[in-house]
Amino acid sequence: MKKQLLPIFTFAKIDIRRLFRDKVGIFFVFVFPLIFLLVFGGLFGQDRDISFNIALLNQSESEFAAEFEQQLIDNEIFTVNEDVTSLDIAQEDMNRGSLDAVVTLPEGFGEIDPEAGFPRGNVEILYDRGNEQAGVTLGSIMESIFADINAELVPVETPFSVAVEATEIEGLTTLDYIFSGLLGFTILSLGVFGPTTVFPRMKEKGIIRRYHTTPIKVWQYFAGNVLSNSFVGLLAVAVMFIVAVLLFNVNMRGDYLSLAILTIFGTIVLFGVGLAAGGWAKNEMQAAPLANLVAFPMMFLSGVFFPRFLMPEWLQTVSDFLPLTPLIDGLRLIITEGRTLLEIGPELAMLGGWMIIIYAIAFKVFRWE
Amino acid sequence: MGKIILRVKDLEKTYGNTKVVKGVTFDVKRGEIFGILGPNGAGKTTTLEMIETMRPIDSGTAELAGIDVAKKPQKIKQIIGVQPQTAAFEEKTKLTELLAFFASTYGRKVDPLEILEQVQLTEKASSYPESLSGGQRQRFSIATALVNQPEVLFLDEPTTGLDPQSRRNLWDLIRRIRDSGVTIILTTHYMEEAQILCDRVAIMDDGKIIALDTPKKLIADLLSRGFTKEQQVEQADLEDVFIDLTGKELRE
Repeated sequence: MKKQLLPIFTFAKIDIRRLFRDKVGIFFVFVFPLIFLLVFGGLFGQDRDISFNIALLNQSESEFAAEFEQQLIDNEIFTVNEDVTSLDIAQEDMNRGSLDAVVTLPEGFGEIDPEAGFPRGNVEILYDRGNEQAGVTLGSIMESIFADINAELVPVETPFSVAVEATEIEGLTTLDYIFSGLLGFTILSLGVFGPTTVFPRMKEKGIIRRYHTTPIKVWQYFAGNVLSNSFVGLLAVAVMFIVAVLLFNVNMRGDYLSLAILTIFGTIVLFGVGLAAGGWAKNEMQAAPLANLVAFPMMFLSGVFFPRFLMPEWLQTVSDFLPLTPLIDGLRLIITEGRTLLEIGPELAMLGGWMIIIYAIAFKVFRWE
Repeated sequence: MGKIILRVKDLEKTYGNTKVVKGVTFDVKRGEIFGILGPNGAGKTTTLEMIETMRPIDSGTAELAGIDVAKKPQKIKQIIGVQPQTAAFEEKTKLTELLAFFASTYGRKVDPLEILEQVQLTEKASSYPESLSGGQRQRFSIATALVNQPEVLFLDEPTTGLDPQSRRNLWDLIRRIRDSGVTIILTTHYMEEAQILCDRVAIMDDGKIIALDTPKKLIADLLSRGFTKEQQVEQADLEDVFIDLTGKELRE
């Protein structure tokens, strides 16, 4: 048995060294996913405090208006741009996108209604049509502020209420969600694009054929490749993690052991996809389209670049059955919800099923030349 | 020399509708250099590949060291060394690492430097195969076929594409390997190489062996049939001139 394992470990050791001597390989395994991380990190990494840039035009002289103005300035949700003093300037800034909305306290706002005995008024919010989200969010925030004030002025019973709680409050950013997708992408490109380029090229040169003249068996050759790639996959994910934590304060809720084991498991499954495609293809002409055919649907359907819940339901159902989906979902559950391996059973089961199917195919279609 | 190590009987191979090997029979004696000659497409490589377990045998038998090739291919692989026609290796891998890997496939651990010394590549130990010259690459390819101390070494056109110096150097290497007790079976289409290097040759054409004997005997037979060359044979040829002018030193 020890003799059977010798080629596996010898191959894996040499294969890992080989990767580090290959600049192209290093780029695609380590640098390429990092570029995506930097791009997405720059886009989504800073939105922990959703803050709106607003201009405040207070045209009222009432005491209430002055107090309200101060309250908005102190509020952390708003960044009040105090340079904007007129509606014209505000309009211009909104067109340029540097301002989300203009909040106007019109003349007479907050003056005490002699009949009712308390202040009244109507806040006007002006937002750009292209910035619908900011307008709606701002409107509801304002409403909730006024609901508090109203309740103080006119005590009323409210039999129903809505308790809205966002995980954002606990400090999760959009990047935290996207990050697991990017890890999935790292493993996908390592597992699928690597072997589908390398194996056919080696076949064309007769390198794999030369191996066939030795007693090495297909399972030993596969195992050696799987071993080296699992190690590299783990390393690539570690690099992503270090950069994400240091640069973008990505939150890690779960334990690193679960993450490492899932990473290795995922690498084995996705590498099997590359092994099947690259092992079958006779040359690069056959392999490249096959790799794209397999990888691109996964990339877009399994939630690498955008969350799956944005997709129509039938498409979500389809994507449930792609091998990349349980990997990304599993990573996300560990990273953002702190689950352990034992708590992501369905994801592991799906990956396990794929592993059996994919490797059965890979063994069946493998050609030495 | 004497005992027979390889017995090939009525070997046949068909690709699609074309029969490329049409009933080949020959024996190879232990410790000899056996050459298979023939024009391109004669079926030399296919014949070798069937004996090397690389291609299924359609009909006929091959028995190497008493082991049936078709029945026990894994056993055969353990005792043979193979140098395929085109020698290619994974890039960015040190020669020592490649040798260690090839040895590991036989469940062996070897001293790569010792093997490299046999083929005069010690100083290239840490080089990558892509940086080797043609002659060095062929020598390294032979080295990878020696890691399991094979009983029989198969060399498919080992000197094709090499300059005269490298060819002579390789002949010396092949002789040294034979002298260490390894039986060598090679293919070539250089007649002069076969004449100098091989103890016995089989001439193949159109999937069949049409002559088999020592080079001397084959030439004697031809002369006895009344053959004469049109021109008087010169005592030297252009290759002799070339070697005389450029020396036997390897250029690499």
